[in-house]
Amino acid sequence: MRVLLIEDDRGLGSAVRDQIADDGHSVDWVTRLADARDHMAAAPYELVLLDLMLPDGRGLDFLKALRAAGDVTPVIVLTAMDQISDRIAGLNAGADDYLVKPFDLHELGARLSAVSRRYHGNPNPLVSVGDLQVDLAAKAVRRAGRPVALTAREWALFEGLVQRPGTILSKGQLEERLYAFDREVDSNTIEVHVSRLRKKLGPTAIETVRGLGYRLGVP
Amino acid sequence: MTAPRSLQARLAAALSIGLALVWLAASAAAYAVMRHEMGEVFDSAIQETAQRILPLAVMEIIDREPTDLQRVAPVRPHHELLTYVVRDEAGTIVLASHDADPAIFPASVPAGFSTTATHRIYAEAALKGSLTILLAEPIAVRRAAVNHAAEALALPIALLVPLSFAGVWLAVRAGMRPIRRLCAAIETRGAGDMTPLAAGPMPSEIEPIAAAVNHLLDRLRRTLEAERSFTANSAHELRTPIASALAQTQRLLAETRDSRTAERARTIEATLKTLARLAEKLMQLARAEGGRLLAEAPYDAGPIVRLVCADVARAPDAAGRLALALPDGAVSTRMDPDALSILVRNLVENALKHGDARETVSVRLDPDGRLAVVNGGAVVPADVLARLSRPFERGATGADGTGLGLAIVDAVARGAGTTLALRSPAPGRPDGFAAEVKLPA
Repeated sequence: MRVLLIEDDRGLGSAVRDQIADDGHSVDWVTRLADARDHMAAAPYELVLLDLMLPDGRGLDFLKALRAAGDVTPVIVLTAMDQISDRIAGLNAGADDYLVKPFDLHELGARLSAVSRRYHGNPNPLVSVGDLQVDLAAKAVRRAGRPVALTAREWALFEGLVQRPGTILSKGQLEERLYAFDREVDSNTIEVHVSRLRKKLGPTAIETVRGLGYRLGVP
Repeated sequence: MTAPRSLQARLAAALSIGLALVWLAASAAAYAVMRHEMGEVFDSAIQETAQRILPLAVMEIIDREPTDLQRVAPVRPHHELLTYVVRDEAGTIVLASHDADPAIFPASVPAGFSTTATHRIYAEAALKGSLTILLAEPIAVRRAAVNHAAEALALPIALLVPLSFAGVWLAVRAGMRPIRRLCAAIETRGAGDMTPLAAGPMPSEIEPIAAAVNHLLDRLRRTLEAERSFTANSAHELRTPIASALAQTQRLLAETRDSRTAERARTIEATLKTLARLAEKLMQLARAEGGRLLAEAPYDAGPIVRLVCADVARAPDAAGRLALALPDGAVSTRMDPDALSILVRNLVENALKHGDARETVSVRLDPDGRLAVVNGGAVVPADVLARLSRPFERGATGADGTGLGLAIVDAVARGAGTTLALRSPAPGRPDGFAAEVKLPA
């Protein structure tokens, strides 16, 4: 998924960016709220990681403005303020989760997935479609009980389809998911990856909806 | 005898003694004036009598043979207080009142008033000194009259003095009431209550005290707030670089293919996590010992306990081990929410870390505000139990920890005016460990 990271500390920001990119997400990292506003206006993000103390304002105000404008994009607050009153203020302002610095990068990854699953209405990380068993938390896929190895790119595409079973994702939406790996996505990249996924998961796993995009197939 | 320490008793005693002395002096003066005035009245009566009797006596003596003593017969038998004699030039008594005792009249007396041992004498001469009338009145009569009058004066005083003492006591007590009110207002406030004293109408002597107390409270509040914001800021300033170093180390670990580098990175990662935990605990301890641990207004503790437990339960080693029991209704407390969360977090983390990993940790909040965290495990000896809430003290445990958790809880509890009670074995079971805090209402 596409993630916007708003963090002004260089060391922490770069590490977090690299970690979630490794997890198969595409990340845009900004250090100022003004840049964050520009990015939010320009691209569809599925999740925002928000530091609270930024050089040009308070993250909490940014979050409140976001919610006031009707934006429901999941937001995980990353902060050094650990007091329960700060935490309650953050949650009340509309944060979906709250992570206190210093945090474990793997925990951040887990929270990211959990918040994303909840946002898509399926907090259970185990999804079963036909003969496929998918563990969204462990990024593991089994076909008829046997594990299937997916590359990071293949997983990034497949995760988007599994998170919303039955929903059609456009080619553009799927390209957004690969943005983390290739800044320039070729015109036939999606077709190539879909065909590889069909080979591994079965010919009916991904259904092409002509003129609209792709969705998880119902075998 | 030492002076009483109570201002009220001292004032009342001084006023009473002063009042008694004034009463006494006034009575003495009144007695002296009265005695003098009564003497004058009595003297005037004698003089008047002498001057009335003398012409009559002269007439009578001239009209008769001046040889023998003649007593004036009483009109009716009575005891005379005032007696008189008339003497001629030679000193011979020529006329006497019927009760007159010649012995009480001295042989020679000056004209006018004089006093003998027993009598007041008045002498008046007539016919160029050839006849002298002497009147005598017993001094005892006067003394009795003065004493009667003094008694009449003393009786109301004897009644009024105790009454005035009671009045003084009541007046002083009433006067001291604003001081007692001020003392009560200072005394009854909680440990962390820094709000100024209520500004009511106050006597001008006490107003500066109240103002000084308010001034002191204000300074104290500002100091505590500065300390608090310093602790919060240092926590923030410390957390960010640690977070950065930890994240970078974890990236190094993820990106390296060299096992030696990975090993070093893991060591740094572990050290950074320990440092982070220690810094956090030290900040919590500083906050607990220096901060304002009471909230301005009571609130429901339930959601805070639930939030902290949910947070702690997310840690991988806590999954499924936490059993939370909250009452149906709200549990009102005045402990500062941040202090409460620090307290709950440390109790629960302590129980998870040191309790038997196969048993659940029970967190129970009772409607009366009693918070109990119970874990399983071997019984902790009494002497170890007594030391556990001291900083850097640990039980016989293999678990890694800072040894600050229970010290922080203890500091928070004391700062909020309550106590941390540790029990092992836990109540109602043969083993385990229980920590209990009654949240201040």
